[in-house]
Amino acid sequence: MIKAQRTAAFIASRLVSVVLTIAGATLLLFLMMRLVPGDFASVMLGPRATPELRVQITQAMGLDRSIPEQLWLFFSRIATGDFGVDVVSNRPILDIVMDVIPNTLALAFSALALALLVGIPIGVIAALKPGSWLDSGLALLSISFITTPTLVVSVALFLVFAIGLHWLPVAGAGEPGDTIDQLRHLILPSVALALGWIGYISRLVRASLLDTLAELHVRTLRAYGVSEYRIVGLYSLKLALVPIVSILGIGLGELIGSSVVVEIIFARPGIGSLIFNSIAQRNYPIVQACVVFIVTFYIIANLMVDMINALLDPRIAAGRG
Amino acid sequence: MNPVIAVDADIGSLDPGNRVGTTEGNIIRSVCQTLVRFEPGKLSWSNDAAKEIRQVSDTEFEFELNAGQMFTGDFGEMTAEDVKYSFDRYINGDNGKKLAYADDMEALKSVEITGKYTGKLILKHRSAALWLIGICDASGAILSKKACEQLGDKIATTLIGSGPLLLKEWRPKEQFLLAANPDYKGPFKARVGEITGKIIPERRTSFLAYQAKELDFTAFDADQLDTAKTLPDTDVIDIAGVDYTWIGINVQKGALADVKVRQAIRWAIDVDAIIQGAYAGATSRAKTLLAPGLLGNWADAPLYNRDLEKAQALLAETGLSGLTFSFTCLNDATSLAVAQIAQANLAEVGITLNINPMDSGAYWALGADNASKDLELTLIPYTSKFDPSFQTQWFLGSQVGLWNWQHWNSPEFDKLHQQGVETLEKAQREAIYIEMQKLLDESASCIWITHGRNFFVDASWLTPMLLPNGKDWQFEYFDRA
Repeated sequence: MIKAQRTAAFIASRLVSVVLTIAGATLLLFLMMRLVPGDFASVMLGPRATPELRVQITQAMGLDRSIPEQLWLFFSRIATGDFGVDVVSNRPILDIVMDVIPNTLALAFSALALALLVGIPIGVIAALKPGSWLDSGLALLSISFITTPTLVVSVALFLVFAIGLHWLPVAGAGEPGDTIDQLRHLILPSVALALGWIGYISRLVRASLLDTLAELHVRTLRAYGVSEYRIVGLYSLKLALVPIVSILGIGLGELIGSSVVVEIIFARPGIGSLIFNSIAQRNYPIVQACVVFIVTFYIIANLMVDMINALLDPRIAAGRG
Repeated sequence: MNPVIAVDADIGSLDPGNRVGTTEGNIIRSVCQTLVRFEPGKLSWSNDAAKEIRQVSDTEFEFELNAGQMFTGDFGEMTAEDVKYSFDRYINGDNGKKLAYADDMEALKSVEITGKYTGKLILKHRSAALWLIGICDASGAILSKKACEQLGDKIATTLIGSGPLLLKEWRPKEQFLLAANPDYKGPFKARVGEITGKIIPERRTSFLAYQAKELDFTAFDADQLDTAKTLPDTDVIDIAGVDYTWIGINVQKGALADVKVRQAIRWAIDVDAIIQGAYAGATSRAKTLLAPGLLGNWADAPLYNRDLEKAQALLAETGLSGLTFSFTCLNDATSLAVAQIAQANLAEVGITLNINPMDSGAYWALGADNASKDLELTLIPYTSKFDPSFQTQWFLGSQVGLWNWQHWNSPEFDKLHQQGVETLEKAQREAIYIEMQKLLDESASCIWITHGRNFFVDASWLTPMLLPNGKDWQFEYFDRA
């Protein structure tokens, strides 16, 4: 009974912290954007933005109200899932954001999966042969991946796989309902986005695994004659992955941030390019909605990371990790 | 085979009076009928929705619509009431709200219905611009009154037309699909079955996508011209622009109030070097406001080739030295390159320029609340319309504090502008606009840089059709070669 109460209290405190974090991040951005010079009407209409139209658009966006009033309206609306209506297209902002979110999530998760699938084996191989030519070669490869800008990778992938070999498409997210086409459109952007993380994860896995392999319990296992394969595969790698999982939460947030570049280059609709264009246009309501989604996603991802870590290392669940 | 083309911006609003970019304008012109339609690639027009248009007087036109022109979506036949409804929105606003493009129809006073298919356009004053930038263009799109009333705010995302094409599908941020309208009754039937427009904001991406054979038509940047010329089965289109980029000098700011300082700056800045350095030599130099090809182009305008001696002599006459000015521009690579060349040029005559790059949001906000009063030198890129009055309006005294960032106020210029607006005779108008450009030249408040240039590639099986500015595309005339 006490354990159940503790669990409930823990979940409640985490949920309160989630709500407060979302509110805090949104508030911060809300205030920051008010400090940026420029208005939506001028950006969208240029010299056609007469004073009359400017007032009209400012009113339509609710920007003529006081900041506390705007804040109250914004938070009271999002509490009911209402992000308002876009002043240009008259479309619900929620629809605009929901249109692009699946593309960004597909991109971020596929890049992350690719980074893990390739980065972990590279890190393990390097850790098993520390100081060897193979280790040095993989270090060079990993660091090259980390230091090559996504833009350069994207263009190189374009030139080789789209223009040179005609294997993969360049632009867009593929036909809705055609999974194969969507996957084909996902490959190049995912690789471009994942490459740096492959390098990063492989270096982390190598370092973490080397630390774990040097621990006392591993020496004990070796003394009992347990094979190196079993030690790495069944015991050490699991522990070595704890710090990797921890950075995945941050990594997912970072991948969504980096997706701006990839989405723009590959003309892929997504939340990154939506937020980028909306900031440039000073379309505050869309930016605010995007931020709420990104922050929420980021926090949920970190919650999941905590739970996975607890599964991987029981000491964390017991509060001793 | 149906063409797949790249457009650089998504659809913002499909309401003709509240559209925000060229993408919507191009779609609206092909999906909706106008009373008269631009002919392929030309600024001349012929009847589309109208069976006949008769000029009763300088300010009164009678029109008769073709019978049987049906709106898509079962919204019925087009009548004079639809014309009145569509144009009244520009005059009276939409539910009291002024339309963003209301000024396109500024000269229109009212529309009178005289029969099911007939009506009258009553003008406030004589106007050549009304036809060129209003009635022929997307602002002149005839909407279905019934559809608009039924759709309400949704007319921003749903386009009901009666034109050669129909908007079959729009996937925001991805693509739109135009299809030939089988019910179109006018003389400009679509020549291809479907056109897919892929939304690709980055020109480098669209150019690469073209090379990967994902596209059949796209614009590209000047620095890719050599590559474009080597592409197989490709036609390269090169259209001189009619837009205008200039360095505006605030004539009310400090030492810049002295015309000799402004003249010295004009002599000191090397526009040819700017064209080579900032525009890769791929565009031609402008020497006046109105581009060649536009009515009122001042072909004999003086060309101020760099002359340091003249610049220094003028500065010496003022007795001023150690001058420092700000140079405000957008923060894109081209604008920054222009700023740096101007900075180096002016340093040679002892003028220091501090470059103040701004992102587009902050930059265009200078057009409000007299925020431009503190500007000194500013690189300004404006887009043009086909009537010269559209370009000259930004230099009026009434625009000081708004979009006249030179803060140059000439009652004579303002008077000529009004005359130009109300004059119909071509030769007279030409003379008026040349005179206006002479006044601008005397003011030394503008250093003209370029009218721009537009480059496109298209698959050799396709013949795209563009109006002479290169920005307005005529999807209805896209054809197989």
